[in-house]
Amino acid sequence: MIARSLKWSRHNLFAKPFDILLSLTVIPGVLWLIWQIAGWALTVAQWDIIPQSLRVLMIGIFPVDQVWRTWVAAMIIAALLGAALGCVFAFRGRHAGGLLLVVAVALILTGTNDLANILLVAALVVLFGLSWALISRVPAVRKGLVPASFVGLIAIFAVMAPPGAGLWGGLLLSILLTLVTAVVTLPIGILLAFGRRSRFSSVRWICTAYIEVMRSVPLIMVVYWIWILMPVLTPQLNLADVVRGMIGFTLFYSAYVAEYVRSGLQAVPRGQTEAARSLGMSEFDINRSIVLPQALRVVVPPLVGNVLDIFNTAPLVFIIGLTDFLRAGQMILANPQYGDRTYEVYSFLFLTYFLVGSLITFVARKLEKHLARGSR
Amino acid sequence: MSTIVEMKTLNKFYGSHHVLKNIDLSVARGEVVVVIGASGSGKSTLIRCVNGLEMYQNGSLLVDGYPMPVEEDRLLGGESELAAIRKGVGMVFQQFNLFPHKTVVENITIAPMRVHRKSKAEAEATALRLLDRVGLKAHAHKYPGQLSGGQQQRVAIARSLAMEPHLMLFDEPTSALDPEMIGEVLDVMRELAADGMTMMIVTHEMGFAREVADRIVYIDQGAILEVGKPDAFFDNPQNERARAFLARVLKH
Ligand SMILES: Nc1ncnc2c1ncn2[C@@H]1O[C@H](COP(=O)(O)OP(=O)(O)O)[C@@H](O)[C@H]1O
Ligand SMILES: [Mg+2]
Repeated sequence: MIARSLKWSRHNLFAKPFDILLSLTVIPGVLWLIWQIAGWALTVAQWDIIPQSLRVLMIGIFPVDQVWRTWVAAMIIAALLGAALGCVFAFRGRHAGGLLLVVAVALILTGTNDLANILLVAALVVLFGLSWALISRVPAVRKGLVPASFVGLIAIFAVMAPPGAGLWGGLLLSILLTLVTAVVTLPIGILLAFGRRSRFSSVRWICTAYIEVMRSVPLIMVVYWIWILMPVLTPQLNLADVVRGMIGFTLFYSAYVAEYVRSGLQAVPRGQTEAARSLGMSEFDINRSIVLPQALRVVVPPLVGNVLDIFNTAPLVFIIGLTDFLRAGQMILANPQYGDRTYEVYSFLFLTYFLVGSLITFVARKLEKHLARGSR
Repeated sequence: MSTIVEMKTLNKFYGSHHVLKNIDLSVARGEVVVVIGASGSGKSTLIRCVNGLEMYQNGSLLVDGYPMPVEEDRLLGGESELAAIRKGVGMVFQQFNLFPHKTVVENITIAPMRVHRKSKAEAEATALRLLDRVGLKAHAHKYPGQLSGGQQQRVAIARSLAMEPHLMLFDEPTSALDPEMIGEVLDVMRELAADGMTMMIVTHEMGFAREVADRIVYIDQGAILEVGKPDAFFDNPQNERARAFLARVLKH
């Protein structure tokens, strides 16, 4: 808005006075704010709470003697994310430097000084980089990525389950919830999108109704409903809260993925289908090999944005009693001993959300440019 | 079995718009039939009915020995003949319609591999042979976006030929091309005709039509008004509207 006002002001008689007014109010205001925050952060704030409560922030109340399980889960996640990135961006030497920077920032930000933990974090990032490099150098491996991510997620569940799913929490839970939702909504969303244009009107009707209903209610409603309904519908399964939460998120976001995919399907010219039909290909083959790849290409950036949406709405799982990253921070503050560290903890939460969010946005932007260039 | 396409009082409507009117037309194996007519007269619709890209409402249509189901039957799921027909009928479009996310050779091999269950090696060998035939062997591993319009259209022809069709349909294959590229595509089509391929061609290239056609079909407002040998048709059209049409297009 400021930029627009500025542009507008260029064509306006009051250009100069307006400019001056802006400079006089906004810039000093911002500087003052930065000064205040920096002053507080460097002199007043007691950051020791972050390293002290880092474990809770990262993994919630997961038992200390079982922490290795969460490291294994984190390794799998790093490998999967690296692989996903490798599908769209070629790994280059300079990226290695960027990754080192990420390690450094993460270690400094969290005040980690334990050698074992430093090595583990370094291993995480190296694994991420390796799988990124592997996938971008050996494209043949890409076909296996979707099955691999399902296997990876199942492995994470298997390794994390023994102490009890009720103990999952912290940033790890937020990331897991995001990852599971992102991976599982993709095939469901694709099926719904195709269902919405099915030649059978009953299929079309059901898919449309599902998508429209999900898109007209709040996420928190769906999550809560699934949480209270699952025990009634499947009493013998006795699903953990975490799983019920993931189901709720998945059911909700599938509708959004379906709409993104549908817009991609619509962007594929009719001539593509007609050419494939004239070659005698089956409708299934046409959709799978001709239409879907072209449609997904168009919607990769919005789908990445959707992942950020999922991550940013993950704190809503507090309503079904889960301890995600944000909730873990609040839990720490509930301890009377730490009652006066509210700003420190919330600053850390804010910064982490901001870093993750801008990283995902950055990737989405890059992708958009990358794909626009490729389609020429 | 010397007839490959047989249309009898075929009618096609878009809603209440009567687009094809009582079409009677048969095409013999080995024959080259060129369909001409003004824009909007129904030429595309006519040849798209032959491979079922458009549905017709009544009449009958026999292609390659199979009856093409009418719209009513197709909507009820009676499409088994359709698959059989399409395996034997190739089509080349005005806009090429190559698959942009696949290389040239992948464009050509996908259908033989999926539909005829050919091995990759076999399909690629065929693809390279066909690319050689249309003069594009060197471009086998490029993407369509890296080729000129004329080259893309030749790839599209090779892609259709890879299915070993008994009949090839061409819907204004040169209309989207820059003038200097029209010749290279027409040359490929000439060779196909000389090799005895059965073809139904919609084109505005009158010189080419006269040269390769065994018969010219003139269509106007959805009805076939004249069918004749090229020389007879171009030199001495019987139908008044055909005469007017030719006067208009041959003026240039
Ligand atoms: N999808 C469609 N819906 C409605 N009318 C159509 C459609 N496609 C073509 N038509 C109409 O059918 C007539 C014949 O079109 P077409 O076969 O494309 O003509 P030509 O190829 O000779 O230019 C035209 O009047 C056109 O407006
Ligand atoms: Mg046309």
